[in-house]
Amino acid sequence: MPATALEVSDVSVSYGKFVAVESVTLSVAAGECVAVIGPNGHGKSSMVTAVAGLVRRGGTVRVFGDALPPGRPDAAVRAGLVLVPERRHLYPELSTRDNIMLGSYARTRRLGARRAWEDVADVLDMFPELAKLLDQKAGTLSGGQQQMVALARGMAARPKVLLLDEPCLGLAEAVARRVYDWLAQMTATDMTILLVEENPVHALTVADRSVRMYKGLVGVSAA
Amino acid sequence: MSQFLNLFAAGLTSGAIYGIFGACLAVWFRVCNVLNLAVGDFAMFGAIGTAWLVQSAGLPFIAGIVVDLAGVGLAAWLFDWAVLHPAFDRGRGAHGIVGVFFYTFGLSLVLEGVARAWFGGDVWGAPDIWSGSALSVLDFHVQRAGILVIGLAVVSGLALWAYLRFTVSGRAASACGESTLGSRIVGIDSAKFRRRIFIGTAVLAAVFGIVESPLSGYTYLSGPTLSLIGTVAAGFASFRRPGRAVAIGLVIGVVESLLGGYVSSSYNDVLLYAILFGVIIFRPEVLGLSAEPA
Repeated sequence: MPATALEVSDVSVSYGKFVAVESVTLSVAAGECVAVIGPNGHGKSSMVTAVAGLVRRGGTVRVFGDALPPGRPDAAVRAGLVLVPERRHLYPELSTRDNIMLGSYARTRRLGARRAWEDVADVLDMFPELAKLLDQKAGTLSGGQQQMVALARGMAARPKVLLLDEPCLGLAEAVARRVYDWLAQMTATDMTILLVEENPVHALTVADRSVRMYKGLVGVSAA
Repeated sequence: MSQFLNLFAAGLTSGAIYGIFGACLAVWFRVCNVLNLAVGDFAMFGAIGTAWLVQSAGLPFIAGIVVDLAGVGLAAWLFDWAVLHPAFDRGRGAHGIVGVFFYTFGLSLVLEGVARAWFGGDVWGAPDIWSGSALSVLDFHVQRAGILVIGLAVVSGLALWAYLRFTVSGRAASACGESTLGSRIVGIDSAKFRRRIFIGTAVLAAVFGIVESPLSGYTYLSGPTLSLIGTVAAGFASFRRPGRAVAIGLVIGVVESLLGGYVSSSYNDVLLYAILFGVIIFRPEVLGLSAEPA
């Protein structure tokens, strides 16, 4: 039986008096891709950003058995838990190369920029289209290209567990299909993925199983 | 020829003042999108604090410099801890345009008040680091402190440029200003970069005040003028490029000095800024500024 890669226990998130996520518990086995689906505004993104340490939370999060301190995204990254966030959050004035390279910051922060790039350049094997865009500012790329850079930045961190939050948000249908082609490549490498997606048709093309989130609660699990 | 060289040297010295404060402002703005309007007050505390420690408290010069710089660094750290940390890391306080200006403007007023209460209204100058008469070659004369000022500006500008261009840490510092969330998800501690660069530029400004004050003398009111000069130089370097701020600062100083010498000292500021605005509007790429696509 595969090890549990990600274990989320009793996680809650509140914004003032508003409870966005209520006692969510779920686990993802090593090499598994689990989709969290559900309508907009029901706590999916709050849950995944809390798991990544970006917002305050209750409950516990473990990566391969190691508990992560809440509110410490740097500790999550060092433990191998990497988030590709909704709306990408790239560095628009920096080059594509720098955007990808900074994905490895936790590992390469004491290096020169050239050596750090050499350390991560193999992510271009997965995204060869980025090779000709490396010196272009990320803010000038198209939406699909920016999503590709966000995924490459996530891969540059060499994640043990990848959290993907709405990777197709705001993209045209044809571009969204491309994004899911890339995700299919990732799942083929036995990477552990927790995918948050509003669109179940997209999500179920790559996920091994899905859970539904509604009003801050995780509901029925489906194979 | 000697007039040209002397005007050129005087322009480089005043340009170094533009440049170094522009660099301090630009590098911190690049990291956290906030203007440090107290940077001139840190220079003022460097100059007056060291002068007071040496002349009134009787400390040896080197000890005075060390104590003064430690005090400036501590004041910067305290401000970050008491004001910037709750405002930017804890989500308290006002953001947007208020955050860009107000916090450091308030700090400037506080530092000015403390300096007035402590040092009074006298003009102070730290002792010369490199004492002696002006260096002369034929009819070309330059103050030793002026050479140190220019050297400090050039070395600081080059160091900041190299840090941002060649190190992962420098790229990470830039990423903090581009996207706070985007930097946190890769493990960059944006608060630590903001704090370290704020303290570092405060100490750099204080060093500059110590080096430069034998030339011009400082009062408790000197800070805002220096901050304003720095804001202008940083603006011409798009508030993001400290190396370029130093280069542009030096050019502005030289052009200003030559216009004053050869055209009119009454109108040199008007002519200088008319030229600069013309460049910004018609050839922004000359200053490294990009025009917005139509």
